[in-house]
Amino acid sequence: MNNLAKFTIGIFFTLGMAWLAFVVGARSQFGDLVPTSEVLDDDGSVPEDAELFPVDISGMAKQGAEEYAALGCVTCHTQQVRRVEAGFDVERGWGKRPSAPRDYVLQEHVLLGNSRIGPDLANVGLRNYSDEWLHQHLFEPQSIFPSSLCPPSPFLYQLVDEPVYSDIGIAPKNNMDKNRTVRPSIRANRLVAYLQALKQDYELPEVSFIETEEELVEEEVISSAGGEAPKWLQDQIDTGKEIYMKAAPGGGMCFACHQQNGEGLAGQFPPLAGSDWVLGNKERLIKISMYGLMGEIEVNGVKYNNVMAPPGIPPGSLTNEQIANVLTYIRNDWGNSASAVSAEEVATVRASLKGRAPMQMFTSAELTTPIQ
Amino acid sequence: MPADSPDKVIDRSAKLVFSFFLSSAGLWLLMAALLAYLAAAKLTDPFFLSSYEFLTYGKIKVAQANAFVYGWGGNSIFAVSLWILARLSQAEVRGSVFLVFAGVIWNLAITFGLLGIMDGHMSGHEMLEMPTEVWPAMLISYLIITFLALVIHRSRQVRETIAPQWFILAALLWFPALFLIAWNGLEINPARGTLQTVLSMWYGQSLVWLWLTPVALGAAYYLIPAILGRTIDKYYLAIFGFWCIAALAPWSVVHHLEGGPVPMWIPAVGTVMSIAMVFPIAVASTNFHATAFMDIGKVWHSLPLRFVIFGTLSYTISSYIGVVFSLPAVAKITQFTIINEFHFNQRVYGFFSMIIFGAVYFALPRITGREIPKAAKSFHFWTSTLGVLMLLLAYLIGGLTHGVLAGQPSLPWSSSVIHSIQPYFLITKFAFIILAFSQFVFVVNVWRIIFPNPFVYFSAENKEASV
Ligand code: HEC
Ligand code: HEC
Repeated sequence: MNNLAKFTIGIFFTLGMAWLAFVVGARSQFGDLVPTSEVLDDDGSVPEDAELFPVDISGMAKQGAEEYAALGCVTCHTQQVRRVEAGFDVERGWGKRPSAPRDYVLQEHVLLGNSRIGPDLANVGLRNYSDEWLHQHLFEPQSIFPSSLCPPSPFLYQLVDEPVYSDIGIAPKNNMDKNRTVRPSIRANRLVAYLQALKQDYELPEVSFIETEEELVEEEVISSAGGEAPKWLQDQIDTGKEIYMKAAPGGGMCFACHQQNGEGLAGQFPPLAGSDWVLGNKERLIKISMYGLMGEIEVNGVKYNNVMAPPGIPPGSLTNEQIANVLTYIRNDWGNSASAVSAEEVATVRASLKGRAPMQMFTSAELTTPIQ
Repeated sequence: MPADSPDKVIDRSAKLVFSFFLSSAGLWLLMAALLAYLAAAKLTDPFFLSSYEFLTYGKIKVAQANAFVYGWGGNSIFAVSLWILARLSQAEVRGSVFLVFAGVIWNLAITFGLLGIMDGHMSGHEMLEMPTEVWPAMLISYLIITFLALVIHRSRQVRETIAPQWFILAALLWFPALFLIAWNGLEINPARGTLQTVLSMWYGQSLVWLWLTPVALGAAYYLIPAILGRTIDKYYLAIFGFWCIAALAPWSVVHHLEGGPVPMWIPAVGTVMSIAMVFPIAVASTNFHATAFMDIGKVWHSLPLRFVIFGTLSYTISSYIGVVFSLPAVAKITQFTIINEFHFNQRVYGFFSMIIFGAVYFALPRITGREIPKAAKSFHFWTSTLGVLMLLLAYLIGGLTHGVLAGQPSLPWSSSVIHSIQPYFLITKFAFIILAFSQFVFVVNVWRIIFPNPFVYFSAENKEASV
């Protein structure tokens, strides 16, 4: 310890060992991964004229990656789907499978990140968001999710009075200012191109897609529709049906418009049977059951433009439990089959809408959603 | 005039350098505090200053960490290490002009680095976000300072070295090695794919473990016996503790990659080594606390020591928590949550900075011959304690909530998971306000001592009352 030279050698030796492992060793282990095909031939070679993955992203998207790095999006968003035993990522629907080292070999900026204040973005390109939606989200996430913490980036947009084709209309904030139309800058377009390019939608020899629990649950419900639904589910469906049919306080009187057979009335009341609004995103469904809905919507390929006042008698009075039950019912009758809605789920959505005025109906534009 | 004691001669030789690095460190500390507040405020209100691109959350957050680690951390490491090395070597600080010159370059490099980050040239590598253009300037100025620190050490009167010297020298030498490894692997010979992340994460975490941590430990090994006037209890363990840190820390830091797209052995090795870290932690903790608790009254009455012991306690606790959180079963919940913020702030604030504060309050009166008013120091201590505890508790509880809720896939992300941790962000915002206030008091304390009268500082030797 007293000889500086020996001391220095000692401390560099200990550091060097770790360096050898993590830098030199890891590099020789997986530093030369290349794109490959989804499945290999028996002898481990890539089949001829098979498509190779990952594919390189467009030049525009690459420039978007620079923007993403420069704006520090990585401080809140990861881009890695963890292995199933290490986390809930696949269950949350953030990817069809865990990410593998090979997925990143073509990326110049590898932005795995290690903090998730926002959701994982490794597969944001698979979530069916339109470019407009992503632009609106980038411009002002709060115009989509009022309590979002994702920082608005208005500096990437220009507010315009005379819109042209590529401009984007954004729902007004607090119903106060007039209609806002924004024009994306080239940087915003790059960023959106990058987000759309983020997808791990192929299998690799080393990882395959994973069936998630949610799918399993839905399958369970489907199979149970054939008779043996678990008791709790059957209870929910039965009470839900009562609420659907009840035209007195505590009821929803939904049948009056959507009909007993869930088919609605042509041109006036949209059907609930087979509707994406019913079977799809639960959050959206819960929202309209609390606050009602207005504006043009499309259900089973037919357009409707009408108003549903906040359901319930008196309007907007349904409790979390009642909403959970009636929604579970409409998701599981007339051939519909989807997972149950719980009172907790309703409660969380309600909490997220705390600032909203009591009877303020949702507009269809407000709910333009990811999963079409 | 009576002949000065050797210590006083040494202190006088260190005065210019110490004052320079300390006053710059103070300014960076305030800068970091301001940025921390802005970032926290943006998490409670996303529209706060949202129309300025250079103040967008991602940039502010990164700039804050860099200002804190390189600005405050770097400058205060230089100040404290040079002085402790000089004292222990009984050798004067030489080449002050070069030290100050190198210090100016270091500070300019960081200034331009932060401006670069805000101007959109962030590199995306953890703790190396400053644009590559400033890296050479940082490295060169750092090497000059380290070289002159080694010169002090080489001219020591006693051949025998002791714990504070090992820790401080090791830290001084490790930094450039880490920096060069990262530079080579990220820019000169860039690694492909997730290797980049392995390397930048390894660098970012090692920076805390192999640079900030050893300096603070070294300072504690120096200050506790110096102030208490007794030797370190079970001192013979210190050497074991030192080599454990040297051997284990560089391995343990990668456990943050658990479950990610890297070969499984990397996080697995990290986890095993993290668990092994209980040994060096136990050693340091025994050394410090067994010594301090023999004379707890004195610890309480000496403010510098109170800061130091706060830091060492915080080190012990945070490190044990770190070990627990690296166990795979727990990591599954806490990984990627705001627990990361807990670890970072615990380490750089609750541990490193508190010990540095103690060292400064101990050294400054000796070096300048002027005392800091007790009330001012005391105020600084209590506000810091309050702020740190508030901050850490909020991140800890918030982080656990974050992790537990995130682990329930049926809960929607924004409206449920993040919504439930928003109150904690509010608490951290207040904690950062308190801390900013506290740091302001610290900087005022320091500046008032260093520049009692700004206009005569350079004109003459100060012949004021001695300690
Ligand atoms: C303060 C942390 C934070 C930062 C910084 C941040 N985000 Fe977000 N982001 C969030 C949160 C929270 C959500 C979830 C709520 C929402 O969708 O608005 C989110 C959601 C998103 C979504 C929707 C993801 C989905 O699957 O629904 C996209 C796209 C997105 N962010 C892109 C970005 C981009 C691009 C940047 C960099 C300019 C960025 N974010 C920076 C916190 C952040
Ligand atoms: C007064 C008539 C009326 C009542 C009562 C009513 N709805 Fe509606 N509902 C409508 C109309 C009209 C629309 C279409 C709104 C639009 O065009 O934007 C609609 C749309 C919907 C939709 C989305 C579109 C679709 O068909 O999938 C759902 C889901 C829905 N209602 C569920 C309910 C439920 C559940 C209840 C009872 C709790 C209920 N409604 C009660 C009139 C009604």
